[in-house]
Amino acid sequence: MEKERHTMNTSLSGKTYVITGATSGIGLAAAEILAGQGATIIGVGRSKERCLEAEKRLHMLNPDAESAFLLADFSVQSQVRSLAAGIQDILASRGVPALDGLLNNAGTFTYWFTLTPEGFERTWAVNHLAPFLLTHELLPLLQSAPCSRIVSVSSGSHYTVRLNWDDLQLRRRYNGLRAYANTKLANVLFSLELNRRLGQASNVRAFAADPGLVKTDIALKGTPALVHWVWKWRRAGGITPHESARGIVFLLTEPSIQDSPEIYWKHSQPKAASRYALDPVSASRLWAISEQMCSLEGRLQVEA
Amino acid sequence: MALMVLPENRLRKKTLVAITGATGGLGKAFAVECASRGWDLFLTDLHPEPLETLAEALRHTYGVQVLTQVSDLTDPLSRAALFDRIHRDHLRFWALLNVAGIDFEGPFYEQSAQEIRTIIRLNIEGTLEVTHALLEFRDPFVPFRIINVASLAAFSPMPVKATYAASKRFLLDFSLALREEVRPLGATVTVLCPAGLPTTPGCIQAIEAQGWMGRMTTQNTGSVVYETLNCALAGRPVCIPGFANRLLQVLGALVPMSLAVRLVGLRWRSAQEKQRLAISF
Repeated sequence: MEKERHTMNTSLSGKTYVITGATSGIGLAAAEILAGQGATIIGVGRSKERCLEAEKRLHMLNPDAESAFLLADFSVQSQVRSLAAGIQDILASRGVPALDGLLNNAGTFTYWFTLTPEGFERTWAVNHLAPFLLTHELLPLLQSAPCSRIVSVSSGSHYTVRLNWDDLQLRRRYNGLRAYANTKLANVLFSLELNRRLGQASNVRAFAADPGLVKTDIALKGTPALVHWVWKWRRAGGITPHESARGIVFLLTEPSIQDSPEIYWKHSQPKAASRYALDPVSASRLWAISEQMCSLEGRLQVEA
Repeated sequence: MALMVLPENRLRKKTLVAITGATGGLGKAFAVECASRGWDLFLTDLHPEPLETLAEALRHTYGVQVLTQVSDLTDPLSRAALFDRIHRDHLRFWALLNVAGIDFEGPFYEQSAQEIRTIIRLNIEGTLEVTHALLEFRDPFVPFRIINVASLAAFSPMPVKATYAASKRFLLDFSLALREEVRPLGATVTVLCPAGLPTTPGCIQAIEAQGWMGRMTTQNTGSVVYETLNCALAGRPVCIPGFANRLLQVLGALVPMSLAVRLVGLRWRSAQEKQRLAISF
């Protein structure tokens, strides 16, 4: 009960949120909390069955809340683009072509170095390029809402690395954990540069969330037994997805932080990200490279 | 106007790196590494869609020129069409990466005649004919680098992979001999002998099924191609990525062949059994 007091009671009816990776873990928990407050959820997942399951759960939780689930494989850019088009169609059909928030939550951990069809390292493509591209595609919808948020789920692992510009995707020296941490660092740099480009006057605000150590299955998908064992041992000390999702819902919905200069948040509190994650030069360099990787050159110009 | 071929264009040779099997796990990794080094590419593979997806992304990300040609290298007519295109467009090459290759799981007597034919046609016939043709289309002003992808399987006969391993042995011997033949042309041949590569879910499962041995010998595909290109630029004859694999090759050479084959057979059979169990559950 003590914890319940922290959740907001403001009704979110009439608001719409897009959540990627919404079929399990933190994404599903955030969807449940938002739907519980009356928000419309557009969830994104990879498997049809798990999407149906998640939709059923949301409906059970709040029969009045509307939700829709879309399928997309984030390792393929064309699928990210058609996902954005699908979201646009849903919103258009409901007569409210605006989005109140985007939660870039979908992420992967890949033990072996593998390449996507477009030749990007898988972790890099799914955890960094896909949200970068999806955010660009959905930005007009987010700008149409009176006040909206883009929250990217980063991780404390970003403190352990700095980007190696000669080998951003670790093609030459791959290590799964380092690749993961790199993308989480990239998520913070992305939020930083996004805010700079949108400008102070913008109604859209980007934040990066540190979810803490959460009991999810992230390291159990397609990894060797040793990784399973280590992760199961580590996550035993973690918090539940629901506890973590509260801090994320706070970033998506709390009105008072719209003009906050803080970028990085953990459990509804601002926290200092690593100095490599807050470096504006790195942020704009990464932005230019990512634009090129997603064929988006010059799409989002800096607002005065 | 734009379609007119001006006489100067005949003189302007585009010097490219040719990669066969370019959308497979290893071929794609080679294509990405070459593009990241700023090299212009000529990619071929069986299916048009993945080829174009990769080519478009490489052009955009690395700003290099990427030409593509769909080709079935087991088919003589398809190969002829490939060489026609090269001839017609006056393409010139400074490197050839023969990556296209295939294997079908299972013992020889369980494979179909078609499968066995495909292994021979792609791994041997296709590779040799492409090499022969591209030597003719090489850029005469720079060293011509050939990389042939064999396998660690080339160093020992392999039960359950009999045809595949023998085809790779063929490539190993061929490459080493060709290397001496083309030396006066200013060309080099490097033969890559990797262990199993974790490129697809199927490959990863096969590696996992081998247990610690699989994990010990497995190298990340990105570093394999990086090391191989450096080997080729240095003109080295053989590239075996990974210390464990080099050790395995040296030890394998010390053991009498009949014993080595016996041991390899035991290892593969138990790995395949485990994999079969994993699939059936």
